[in-house]
Amino acid sequence: MAKVLVIADIKQGVLKGSTAELLSKAKAIGAQTAVVAIGSNIESLTSELANAGSDTQYIVDDPGLELFSAGPFASCVVDAANQFDANLIWFGFSESGKAVAPRVAAQLEAACATEIIDVTLDGDQIEVTRPAIANKVMQRVKVNTERLVAVVRAGAFEADEGISGTENVVKLSAPAADLKAVIKELLSDASGEIDLADADVVISVGRGAKDQAGIDLVKELANDLAAGFGSSRAMVDGGLMAHNKQVGQTGKIVAPTLYMAIGISGAIQHLAGMNGSKTILAVNKDPEAPIFNVADYGIVGDLFEVVPILREEINKIRS
Amino acid sequence: MKILTTAKKVVDVELTIHVENGAIVEDGLQYVINAWDENAVEASVQLKENNGAETTLVSIGGEDNTDMIRKCYAMGIDNGIHIDDPALDKADSFVFAKVLQKVYEKGDYDLVITGKQAQDTDSGQTGIILAEVLGVPCVSNVIDIEVVDDSHIKVSRLGDAGTEIVEVELPAVVTVSDSINEPRLPAMRGIMMAKKKKIQVMDLAALGTSPDEVGGAAPKSEIAEFMASKSRQAGQKFEGDAAEITARVVDLLANEAKVL
Repeated sequence: MAKVLVIADIKQGVLKGSTAELLSKAKAIGAQTAVVAIGSNIESLTSELANAGSDTQYIVDDPGLELFSAGPFASCVVDAANQFDANLIWFGFSESGKAVAPRVAAQLEAACATEIIDVTLDGDQIEVTRPAIANKVMQRVKVNTERLVAVVRAGAFEADEGISGTENVVKLSAPAADLKAVIKELLSDASGEIDLADADVVISVGRGAKDQAGIDLVKELANDLAAGFGSSRAMVDGGLMAHNKQVGQTGKIVAPTLYMAIGISGAIQHLAGMNGSKTILAVNKDPEAPIFNVADYGIVGDLFEVVPILREEINKIRS
Repeated sequence: MKILTTAKKVVDVELTIHVENGAIVEDGLQYVINAWDENAVEASVQLKENNGAETTLVSIGGEDNTDMIRKCYAMGIDNGIHIDDPALDKADSFVFAKVLQKVYEKGDYDLVITGKQAQDTDSGQTGIILAEVLGVPCVSNVIDIEVVDDSHIKVSRLGDAGTEIVEVELPAVVTVSDSINEPRLPAMRGIMMAKKKKIQVMDLAALGTSPDEVGGAAPKSEIAEFMASKSRQAGQKFEGDAAEITARVVDLLANEAKVL
């Protein structure tokens, strides 16, 4: 029987939605489930972890794990994977997951696959499906080992509302700190902002907004909708938006219910980061902009004219 | 400081890619240096210029990697190693990491810089696994590298909670994001000089290893087939009076797509 270990996605003490999505998929393929939660002051999350669909909760709770460090986090996952005898070890999509998964695979001598969107089991044979070449093709990958470590692409699996688990806590001891790669400082992202990774609506701004005034205009629309506020690469390179706002293959990969691309032409790397969205709206002056090739709805027009009307009409409909 | 940088030649992602019978249609494809590796080369050359370093590039692949290695020479790389062996045709990230380990062990490198992923596989594993097999520290998704002293660097990494500032003991592996720099266009003088430079070409035997040792014959995973991506179709595009078309689209978002 398959045994799936899911790495709990915890940000600032909050359990993120991907954890339940991965556990739901694990139960759907008939696997036994466990979760490993790594951090500081996280014991209060135990029942939430069980409710997300896990039947065993490995908890590594230590002040030394407050800040992310790939080495110690990998040790915790390896420890939990060995105790649970997991053959599938799944990370939700995150920078931490991408940094830790290959380490875990190397230590377990397991295969590693990133950005998977599906997994199938035929007896002991594991296969995964994943996009490659900036989402232009899909690969079916045959795994030749008994164990697979994988990072699951954002939005690939859906959480099953009816899922449940049982509380069965196993405390693991904290690993030693990595003395060869010491985190000196964390320049924290502005707190209180909506996390792009799990926002229902994401609104991204591009070069069409020109300057801060244009950004502020689009930001107001994002505030109205309590949307995550993202950016194209051009705005980040221009110093107008922070790195952590960049949506695209090299930044955040998002798959919200509604994605609005405002003043974004649609470079291939940007499209690869958002084309899993359910519905896409694009606003752009240039009717030939590639963004319109992926948009469900396109408005050809100047965002400085369109965005205020968009706000007004949306507020009308929502009131 | 001795820096080892990796570069892979990948399919040009800007072109249309067709899939037939489970394979990518080679006709009409072009191959270029992986964009993230170009950032790694630029980062290496900048460290050489600012702090003094000897830079070596290693590339694994077929004969046509030569022009890419020459391009890296023109950007300022000092030495080029080309590993060309048909036994590596089906290599996965673990196999590449093992081959790079052999290259690393032949030099006396302080720092390995790789792109954070390759554009053909989008896997992002090789650099991190290399650090594991070497038993050295690794920081991925790096956007800045600063030399502290002979045995330490300070790097900035884009993480989930913000930008992490990490002090790393050398030797180490870092994988870089494209946010780290804007790769230079080689100057004519550099291009001319690059043409005359030697490239050290080796197969696995010359590297002192074998397909069995690096796992080339039995990769941990292999691509069974390629499939066409379910591409999105262009939807409804509206032009004309801004007030009118915007109201129309909001109505569609609410009542057709039901996402408002």
